Amino acid sequence: MSKKEDLEVYWNKINYAFPILNGTLYSDCTNEEYEEIQEMIVSLGIQIRIRDLILIHIEKYLRQHVVPSFWSKFIKSDVEVKGFQLFKTAVSDLYESVTNFSGILHKLTLLNNSCSDNMPIFGEKDVLLGFKQLLRATLLAQLPLEFQYIIYFFYKVSFNVFDNEYENSDMGDDVMCSGCWNDYSDCNCAYIVKVFHDTNRKLMELQLLERLAGQVLTNFIQMRIESHIQKLCTGTFDVSHIAFLENWLDTTVMSWLTRIYCAGSSKPPPDDKNVQNAISKFKQKLSYYLYHSYTKLRIDQLFNIIIEYPDSQPAVDDIKLCLDKTDLRPTLCKNLQTALETRLLHPGVNTSEILTAYVSTIRTLRHLDPSGVILETVTKPVRNYLRNREDTVRSVVSSLTEDGAGSELAEELAKFAGEGDDENDKEDLWDEWNPDPVDADPKVNSGDRKASDIISMLVNVYGSKELFVNEYRTLLADRLLAQSVINTEKEIRYLELLKLRFGESQLHFCEVMLKDVSDSKRINALIHQDNNFEASNDKITCNGMILSAQFWPPFKDESLELPVIIKQLLENYTKSFEALKGNRTLSWIPHLGNVNIEIEIGVKKLELTVSPFNATLIMHFQDKPEWSLDELHQVMKVPVTILRRKITYWQSMGLITEKSTDYFVLVDGSDANKSNVSTNQVQEMICEDEEAESVMASAHDQREGELQVFWSYIVGMLTNLDSLPLDRIHQMLKMFASQAPGTECSLQELRQFLDTKVRTHQLVLQGGMYKLPKT
Amino acid sequence: MKVTVKSWTGVATWRWIANDDNCGICRMPFDSCCPDCKLPGDDCPLVWGACSHCFHIHCIVKWLHSQPQQQCPMCRQDWKFNNK
Ligand SMILES: [Zn+2]
Ligand SMILES: [Zn+2]
Ligand SMILES: [Zn+2]
Repeated sequence: MSKKEDLEVYWNKINYAFPILNGTLYSDCTNEEYEEIQEMIVSLGIQIRIRDLILIHIEKYLRQHVVPSFWSKFIKSDVEVKGFQLFKTAVSDLYESVTNFSGILHKLTLLNNSCSDNMPIFGEKDVLLGFKQLLRATLLAQLPLEFQYIIYFFYKVSFNVFDNEYENSDMGDDVMCSGCWNDYSDCNCAYIVKVFHDTNRKLMELQLLERLAGQVLTNFIQMRIESHIQKLCTGTFDVSHIAFLENWLDTTVMSWLTRIYCAGSSKPPPDDKNVQNAISKFKQKLSYYLYHSYTKLRIDQLFNIIIEYPDSQPAVDDIKLCLDKTDLRPTLCKNLQTALETRLLHPGVNTSEILTAYVSTIRTLRHLDPSGVILETVTKPVRNYLRNREDTVRSVVSSLTEDGAGSELAEELAKFAGEGDDENDKEDLWDEWNPDPVDADPKVNSGDRKASDIISMLVNVYGSKELFVNEYRTLLADRLLAQSVINTEKEIRYLELLKLRFGESQLHFCEVMLKDVSDSKRINALIHQDNNFEASNDKITCNGMILSAQFWPPFKDESLELPVIIKQLLENYTKSFEALKGNRTLSWIPHLGNVNIEIEIGVKKLELTVSPFNATLIMHFQDKPEWSLDELHQVMKVPVTILRRKITYWQSMGLITEKSTDYFVLVDGSDANKSNVSTNQVQEMICEDEEAESVMASAHDQREGELQVFWSYIVGMLTNLDSLPLDRIHQMLKMFASQAPGTECSLQELRQFLDTKVRTHQLVLQGGMYKLPKT
Repeated sequence: MKVTVKSWTGVATWRWIANDDNCGICRMPFDSCCPDCKLPGDDCPLVWGACSHCFHIHCIVKWLHSQPQQQCPMCRQDWKFNNK
């Protein structure tokens, strides 16, 4: 035999053992025959070359036949069942093709063992693993664009049945099976479940389950997690759901997964590390997803959770826990900020409501994020908004000093007083220290952020403690002057609490005010013992509220000429006071105070507490039943506009009517049936004069008074320099007038002040320059 | 119609009857108190000297303690309390 013939024999034998070299898989070669052939190959020393050649041919075969035939079934179809069938066929065909390789792979393994060069086969340590790796690589290399369609349909159909089977939903009287949507008579469920498990098992064996179906599976399970959470967590914030959800994931969800991965059995095979790994990886993904969805839901509900805090604390605890496990902090900040803006910060909401929500937000977020960073970020717009509301300080102050419902701030104030200074305790907490979160503003000291309590956060809304305390003083002044019976004890108690908070010096004025009230009681008692005083007036009980002017906020300037007998009465009181307190005298503020009067109309009697203005007015009508507005202005020295406004009190009582324009007459007893007082057989009636207006000059008026100091400087400047822009005036004032009281004046304030001067024609503004008007 | 006033509660501010508004020593208004006091009026009264100048009592007493000669800080006349 020639050498060439030899070679041909060898080659034919090799081809006989490995028909793949000719592009087919089927071989009649028995194991004994193969042993011989391999011996021959080894004796020729070409085992490595042959092995590599076979590998190349396997790859070629997969690329040209197996993989294209697999993907050819992945066509875009609109029919679910067709998709189901296509995917099932694709997988089982693929599985069969792979099974057909088993003969070759067996021989190749033997051949490879004879090579003993320890070369990895497609990166894997043996032929079988290398082959699977090659198959996956080749498959994925030819992945078509729309491959997920039929996979999606396959799992959709399967899940529907699967749910039905494991969720033991009640069958009811439906004609159709809710699993496969067929009539019960030809229900297809059992078949579908079988195919489902079968396909999953095959994919698992090929290690293709995750690569092909992972995304679709994940989506399905995520949808179910989502709907479960939705069902579980609507409207209730007073229960923590985390433990329950974790348990649900561990049991229910994981049992689905295990069934998918383990062909219907509920436990993974204990020796199969692959399956166990796959399942535990999947579980990690799902539990992240669970936390994520739950937190997102709670974040969407956060505004309501805040409103219900502290009842909603379990929900807050859940969010707190989940924030550490997810990356939703920024989402939380953004969403909550938007919720606060859309639900709170518009003109339709009362300031007190905004404050209540703000306080609740502070409390909730403080619990949620002790670092205070979220709170600071989220509530910034609320603070800015509150700052621009005129009645903010007033609302804060009144809710601070209110009892009963809505007095959370009052409680908070009392709590602060109880806590006292626990600086030392904090020293021991050094080992609980945590760094600031990454979103913290580095410019703010973290201690400040944490230490700021609810009340100081509210006070800071308005910028300064001083402004806040001033407003409190005005409010206190109003209360003290408005009430005929003053609960001094209560006021003192609150003052003490406020002093703990704002310091003695800030509230010293208020202390004097309260002392004035109690001193006045004593002075009144002493004066009533004064025989000279009592002799001069036997009918009217006269009391004084004697104020230390320097300590009270400025009063609104109002004039009122009192009736002569009252003036006489007050003069006598003054004399008696002068006798009591040497070297001191009184200046009466005629429009302040309150008057008890009794009005008799015919047989009816009416007892009222009214303002000095109203008392004076009705007393004039007693003397003379008809008055023109101008006549009243002459005797009462009150501007006509104010008279016109205030006379409505007696009009509404039905005692005075406007006969013709600006001409008022008393409704006499004879036609008393017109007065609404006499409608019933009411003999006596106590009415409160409903003038709720503050008698104090507002903070704005006060400030304008202070700025008035600058006016002479400004006039001087403009006289000398003709015209100046705003910022020059500001600079010059800073230089020359900074010792004046009211010290600092911002550019903004100055502009406002100058604008009022322009409006009253004391200044002219031309091309951004202020000028004095030419006279 | 008959109106009977049963009681009248008026509001007044008190002030010292003095020929000046501010204490010449502490510069505070007489109707306020001296820097050492918290409450005005009875607790921080005014006193008059024979020279007719007047001060918060606490201010003039402190002043006299700090001076070798007992003189009015305003007019340098010998200080004498005037119990008018
Ligand atoms: Zn003084
Ligand atoms: Zn004093
Ligand atoms: Zn003197």
